[in-house]
Amino acid sequence: MSKDVLVIGGGPAGLEAANQLKILGYKAYIVEKSEKLGGHLAKWDRLFPESISASETLDKLLKPINDISVFLNSEIVSVNGTDGSFSVLLSNNITLSVSSIIVATGFSLFHAEKKEEYGYGIYDRVITSVDLENYFKKHSDNRIINPKKIGFVHCVGSRDEKVCNRQCSKVCCVTAIKQACEVKEIFPQSEVYCFYMDLRMYGRYYEDLYLEAQSKYGIRFIRGRVSEVSEDENGKLVVKAEDTLSSKPLKVTLDLLVLMVGMVKNDDNESISNLLNIRVGEDGFFKTANPILRSTEGDSQGIFFAGASTGPKTLPETINEAKATVLSMHNYLSKQV
Amino acid sequence: MVDFGYSLSPSSRINLDNFDQGRLTILSKIEPDLIKCIACGSCAASCSAANFTKINLRKVILLLHRGLDNEAVSLIEGCMLCGKCTLVCPRGINTRNLIRSILKTYKEV
Amino acid sequence: MKERLIFGYDPFVLPFTLGMVFIILYLLVGTVRIILALDDSERKLILKSFFPLKLFKSIKDIILDCLIHVKIFKKNPLLGYMHSSIAFGWFMLIFIGHIEVMIYTPQRTGVLYYPVFFRYFVMETHETLRGSFFFFLMDLSLLLVLTGIGLAIFKRFRSKALGMRRTTKLRLGDKIALYSLWAIFPLRLLAESFTANISGGSFLTISINHLLNAFVTNPDYILPVWWAYSIALGLFLFALPFSRYMHIPTEILLILLRNAGIKSSMSRNGYAESEIYSCSRCGICIDDCPMTVQKRNIKFSSVYFIRLLRRRFDESINTADKCLMCNKCVEVCPVGIDSTRLKLLKRQEEYGKSRTNYDYLSTIEYSKKRADNVLYYAGCMTHLSPAIYKSLFKILESAKIDYTFLDSDGSICCGRPLMLSGNLEGAKNLIKKNRELIKASGCDTLLLSCPICYKIFNEEYKLKGIKVVHHSVYINDLVKSGKISLKKSSDSYVFHDPCELGRGSNIYDEPRELLSNSGVVKEASKERRESICCGGSLGSLTLSYNDREQITKASLKALLENDPDKVVTACPLCLKSFSPYNSKPTIDIAQIISEQLINS
Repeated sequence: MSKDVLVIGGGPAGLEAANQLKILGYKAYIVEKSEKLGGHLAKWDRLFPESISASETLDKLLKPINDISVFLNSEIVSVNGTDGSFSVLLSNNITLSVSSIIVATGFSLFHAEKKEEYGYGIYDRVITSVDLENYFKKHSDNRIINPKKIGFVHCVGSRDEKVCNRQCSKVCCVTAIKQACEVKEIFPQSEVYCFYMDLRMYGRYYEDLYLEAQSKYGIRFIRGRVSEVSEDENGKLVVKAEDTLSSKPLKVTLDLLVLMVGMVKNDDNESISNLLNIRVGEDGFFKTANPILRSTEGDSQGIFFAGASTGPKTLPETINEAKATVLSMHNYLSKQV
Repeated sequence: MVDFGYSLSPSSRINLDNFDQGRLTILSKIEPDLIKCIACGSCAASCSAANFTKINLRKVILLLHRGLDNEAVSLIEGCMLCGKCTLVCPRGINTRNLIRSILKTYKEV
Repeated sequence: MKERLIFGYDPFVLPFTLGMVFIILYLLVGTVRIILALDDSERKLILKSFFPLKLFKSIKDIILDCLIHVKIFKKNPLLGYMHSSIAFGWFMLIFIGHIEVMIYTPQRTGVLYYPVFFRYFVMETHETLRGSFFFFLMDLSLLLVLTGIGLAIFKRFRSKALGMRRTTKLRLGDKIALYSLWAIFPLRLLAESFTANISGGSFLTISINHLLNAFVTNPDYILPVWWAYSIALGLFLFALPFSRYMHIPTEILLILLRNAGIKSSMSRNGYAESEIYSCSRCGICIDDCPMTVQKRNIKFSSVYFIRLLRRRFDESINTADKCLMCNKCVEVCPVGIDSTRLKLLKRQEEYGKSRTNYDYLSTIEYSKKRADNVLYYAGCMTHLSPAIYKSLFKILESAKIDYTFLDSDGSICCGRPLMLSGNLEGAKNLIKKNRELIKASGCDTLLLSCPICYKIFNEEYKLKGIKVVHHSVYINDLVKSGKISLKKSSDSYVFHDPCELGRGSNIYDEPRELLSNSGVVKEASKERRESICCGGSLGSLTLSYNDREQITKASLKALLENDPDKVVTACPLCLKSFSPYNSKPTIDIAQIISEQLINS
């Protein structure tokens, strides 16, 4: 059995998987459709809940794979699977012959323009969580000018039939609280509001972060949905919501509104599923062989998954899954001999 | 039992054991999606009439589930049926029909 | 030619004659019922319609619709030929038949059955040119009808060949009427051919007569065939009121009443009754109803609604509640039945007693600055897509037009959704308050970005002295008068005609004219009068979210047929319906224009 393995996707899942493959003695090939490695991790500043640096984490993931073959700006054109091996043609005309494939294609971020009522792309002071994270890294964004009142809107593009995304994106609640604390650190005189439906603080130390947000940073939490955003004469945002806990409609003028955009399926999931003979679920993410016992394996022989390609995940879950995937793959290949 | 001539005022606690589910069952048959509501409040937030009255569909659904029918009707009878709530409901509930059905089931003409 | 039998009578004429008497009485009683159900003002309209000019138009309409079936020709030429050959051919048979009687046996003029069975009762003494001429005309008309009948039988097996994907199933009454109708003309041909050597005939009947004489020489076979012909006619006439073919006589009454200016005011009686009986259950409305993209919703199309109404079934309210009120069925109906209006009336009759309470409106007062020029009313839906009014304001500012935003803090709904739900009383409260606010503003133009609002402000509000205008028309006027100038982009657009703007208010050209100033306008596979509802319509009260999704996708497919770069809407509801499913960008027309403004 050949020791060549294809990893589709050069984000954290793909990088960790490639690293583990190398340790176990396999030859990994990473195919990445964008121009650099790192996936979405390259966009973040600090990771929850303990504020670990994202760029340091990324560097640690990138270092061991220096000697691994990486094809950037490349996509899969066709796959022919016969007798336990795959012949894969890439868009740069290179053909690889591999014994298994790890699908680490990750997720896409919800396009906030689709929720027109929040005004992203229409009003200057409405940004997304991704824009805010970028601001934390680069320290400049001409939409953020000394804001006195800042709002965070949870569940933008998630848990919403109206934009065809029923799933909860898992990480946005804790990210919102993390960013609320961070923005309060930068603008200590500001008032920060979080508009939430539920607060999903399921992970270790997440509740501590929530407690810190309330007690140390004074973040204000409003349980209710934002219905409309409009602008007043000074260009400030007038936000209307319902405060469900007091059962009253609520209005507040903000200088900055941050939309917590969710994790949605990649647009090319369908075409990849056709190429590799795997299936997608109703939510557009890939389907695994068994959601409890074999959640890193695909239905077809030789196809494995790692990371958010099979649904929203946190970063530690992704890294762990990459390790588990490689182990499953190794077990599978050992039987093939 | 001796009658002292006065009594304690009735408890304001909601007693889930006590309430008559008859009309709620009828309503659920007309509009089965009623049960999908997660009380997020998008409907109440976008309501046109909420600028002028206390209308609140989220609260109404909650009250109906708790047996507080009269309060519920008074909170929904000012609805202009404009449809904004239906457009924003993240669970895809036909809120316009729900409101009409609530008025049909719970309000006497 | 002269009469062969002294009394000009034979018992075989009875089935037909009894049937004829029955149907005449039935029609008379029906017409009187309908007229009695109308109110006085409507009856006055009927009297007024007997002036020659108006009567002329009615006769023209009757000829075009009932005889020639012009509208059906538009749907499919073969289908149109099928109907008009039967109708026109049969009309000619009756008409020429009466002339024959008046010329040759004037003593029998006025006898009900005589023209129908003319060829049994006469014998040709000597051939004349005039006689041959009439025989020729009759045989030709009979041939015409037979070709139509042949097509009709074919249509039952291969309806797609005549342009009809789906059609309604026949009920018992329909089957009896239809099969006897099919039998009438071949039997007539057979009967007249049998007697052709006695009464005379022409190319068709004489030829078949020769053929028959080779096999059948016994004259006793003649009478049974005429019996069969009469029975077929009789069966048809008796079954007529219990079948869909009642539309044949009823449509004449409908045209007369409609041209008098009468509209339905109850869902079942009066004018509505003439509409209901004029429905031929052709099923053309099934294919065009947006809901029928799903098979299980076919039962909600207009044809089935009308059938439920005809039988006075209570379930008709369920269909009435489901309807999107997009008016596509009214557009394609060959008889022109306004089924949307019937559904609205049914809703009003069912939900008339208002359970809503709008007392809170009385405390609201006009609180904005005085608007001497333009008053902009966003309406409930536009608040959920603020890009629309933001772009509109940019355009107004570029044209240096002063405007006031009436409902920036929140709208009192225009009232159309409430009206469509059947609650007329409630809607009147909203209309009253909004009128007050609009008048208090002092504006001369009411600018709207939502076609639903536009329709009701234009039709029900009666705002004298105020120009009510939709933003696509208004911006187009700004371009035409040079107040704004646009640069052209290389983008191609397809424009979706909103139901309330297009079929609802007859505005099709202005938005396209406007768009052509900023890019290339492509066509959708179904547009203008035929445009498909986006699925978001507030007209439907009970349609589920999943059903609407399917309608939206079907409508989108028609829009994207010619691969435009962008889909342009003029209604916030259409915008929000299309945008989650559209692979191309969905943008309001105001946004497109504001992006192409050249600021001076």
